[in-house]
Amino acid sequence: MNISRQESLLKRPGPPVGFGFTVALAILILFGVSLYAIGFTPARMLEVPGGVARVLSFFWPADMAYGWDRVLPAIVESIQIAWIGTIIAAILSLPLALFGARTLFPRLARGVKLISATARAFPEILLAIYFVPIVGLGAFAGALAIGISSVGMLTKLGAEVVDSLDFGTVEAVEAAGGSRIQALRWAVLPAVLPEIIAHWLFRFELNIRASAVLGVVGAGGVGGVLLNTLRYRHFDKAAAVLILTILVVLAIDTISGEIRRKIIRG
Amino acid sequence: MNVPARPPRNWMLLAGVTGLLVAMTVWSAYGIGFSLTEILCNIAGGTRLITESWPPDFGFLPRLAEPMLETVFIAVIGTVVGGILAIPVAVLAARNITPNKLTWFADRNFMNILRTLPDLFWAMLFATAVGFGPVAGALALTVFTVAVISKLWSESLESIDMGLPETIRAVGGTWFQMIQFGAIPQAVQHYVSYALYAFELNIRASVVLGLVGAGGIGMILETQRANFEYERVTMIILAVLVAVLIIEEISESIRKRLA
Repeated sequence: MNISRQESLLKRPGPPVGFGFTVALAILILFGVSLYAIGFTPARMLEVPGGVARVLSFFWPADMAYGWDRVLPAIVESIQIAWIGTIIAAILSLPLALFGARTLFPRLARGVKLISATARAFPEILLAIYFVPIVGLGAFAGALAIGISSVGMLTKLGAEVVDSLDFGTVEAVEAAGGSRIQALRWAVLPAVLPEIIAHWLFRFELNIRASAVLGVVGAGGVGGVLLNTLRYRHFDKAAAVLILTILVVLAIDTISGEIRRKIIRG
Repeated sequence: MNVPARPPRNWMLLAGVTGLLVAMTVWSAYGIGFSLTEILCNIAGGTRLITESWPPDFGFLPRLAEPMLETVFIAVIGTVVGGILAIPVAVLAARNITPNKLTWFADRNFMNILRTLPDLFWAMLFATAVGFGPVAGALALTVFTVAVISKLWSESLESIDMGLPETIRAVGGTWFQMIQFGAIPQAVQHYVSYALYAFELNIRASVVLGLVGAGGIGMILETQRANFEYERVTMIILAVLVAVLIIEEISESIRKRLA
């Protein structure tokens, strides 16, 4: 072995330059192009903190009287939209999740996967755009949009829970002469339900945030109130919207998270 | 044959929970005006809408290229800036490596409040503060990205092996050296995958930012929707779905290769 080969063996291996470096470079270039394309010049950047600070200074003091009268009912409506949407999604997704389990129904599962992938592709606000002309402006359209778009994720997560199940009990029911459906009812459902319910609750938390923005396209909830207060430059009222939304969402997240932990622990 | 006794059920609890759930559902359904008759009566309206929004107006497609690109640009800026800002936020919020309890507590609450507000709320706020357009969208996604990445990554940082960071401190390394050489290298792969995940979320979000005037393809969507040009609305939504799927495919393959 010659010296140079030995040296190269002793040398500490550097970080692998290759794919990671290429990606980093590509991101940097893309970032530069993006800044340029949307007109984010340095002068513009310096204006941003000032602009934000100026608008924020108008937010105080918050108009809490408006908050209690108008904002709270709108937030309650958002919660109701999220709840009904989650219920719709739970009812539709439970059978889909069971039939979407690859281990139980290999052939059906492929079709179910397609349905759930399609449902997941649509953000709820785009669905709401279609539901508003069908059932009219308001919370009902929002609840339908949330329900349909939640089906995809709940089906996927539910099917994964079923797939991860130990199938001893299913085989036991079938060995004792039970049908596939009876096996579902007595062996699968009791085992997967706690985890699936925890997923429903988690989706409910996500849906609260989603329903808060649906008002932008006229589908009810607190989003429309915020849009209007900002549009008419009623910043003190907008502040009330933000404060109440933050408090309510934090409270619901905490409660729901606590329940989820209890359910999972059993 | 001896059958083991059924475990006793807590009927009171079961009845209470069921009652609560049913009450909540009825109250909500009443509150939002849920009615099956309304759905059935409006089926006609629904079919009319479908005939109006199909087939999509393909002639409109060329006009979508520019705003679609703007949407991607907004998502890129939001992900890069937000991804960088998320690093200190996540480090300070990780219980095992944060410098002191007070910083941890303040940062944790800051993170929770960021996460509470949905992306469109940030977009509305920034559109008001810096004017309508893509800059507002990029700022909104920056905040959104910080919220997503810092939450996920602080959890990864909390689960690192503390042996190396403690060694660095023991041999006299500063807190920064401990973070730089002890903590971050252990969790850098998670960071990359969360950043790509945030990018996918941002692409999805930047599509709708325009609904409140924060730039991108959503702005066209909003004008066509307001004019009830549903053939064009369908065209836009189809284009968006295809673009989102392609970008997610790319991001997925990068994530797999880096992992």
